Amino acid sequence: MKIKVELFGVCREFSDKDFIDLEFDKNIQIKDIRNEMIKFVENKFPENKNYLEMVKKSAFSSKDEIVEDEFMLNSNQTVSIIPPIGGG
Amino acid sequence: MFHCEVVDVNTNEITIEKAQKFIESQKCGASLYFLGTVRDHNNDKTVTGITYDAHDSMVKKSFKEIYEDAIQKLKLDHPAAFVEHAKGYVPLGGISVIIAVACKHRAQVYEFSRFIIEEIKKKTPIWKKEHYQGEETAWLEGKQIQVKK
Repeated sequence: MKIKVELFGVCREFSDKDFIDLEFDKNIQIKDIRNEMIKFVENKFPENKNYLEMVKKSAFSSKDEIVEDEFMLNSNQTVSIIPPIGGG
Repeated sequence: MFHCEVVDVNTNEITIEKAQKFIESQKCGASLYFLGTVRDHNNDKTVTGITYDAHDSMVKKSFKEIYEDAIQKLKLDHPAAFVEHAKGYVPLGGISVIIAVACKHRAQVYEFSRFIIEEIKKKTPIWKKEHYQGEETAWLEGKQIQVKK
């Protein structure tokens, strides 16, 4: 199954696009997305510990709601990675 | 009465005039305008501007929840609020956020305005990338969003 992860804040630097597509071969939870994102950053930016830290500290949202690590995802679903915030 | 928006500053602007038109009411004896603006320094660095990023739909949802929370907690009389936040590059001195509020009495508008900006800082998915002299930029370290259990 394919999951689209929309990128925001510092996580926009992970890709030239506004999102990353991840592929899974089973039903997954948000924690699986986080683990996949951690692997992605470790492979693509092995020197950048800040990116790794940001993924670990990020929340994830689905349909504009922040969701827990145990939240189940459907195929072709879109989620957003929400790194630590700071507007105003 | 409530209005909120994420303003793409490449194509639009945040103005006090729009806020004033929205909140003015003969039922209210007090109104207050808070502006967040870009300052020229942070952490011993010379700042030249800030790029704001936002999850637009979540930001608008968050602003509405904060407004409703304020009404419930502060027990406001005839509340009105106009909240807009910038998205995109804002130069020095530019407006990043406007919070215009009106109520029946003056004490309430101070509480109301303060409540909104403090909650935005804690709950609203907006991010800042500072631009410094030279080509250097940095995303500012923010606050982790807490997941409701």
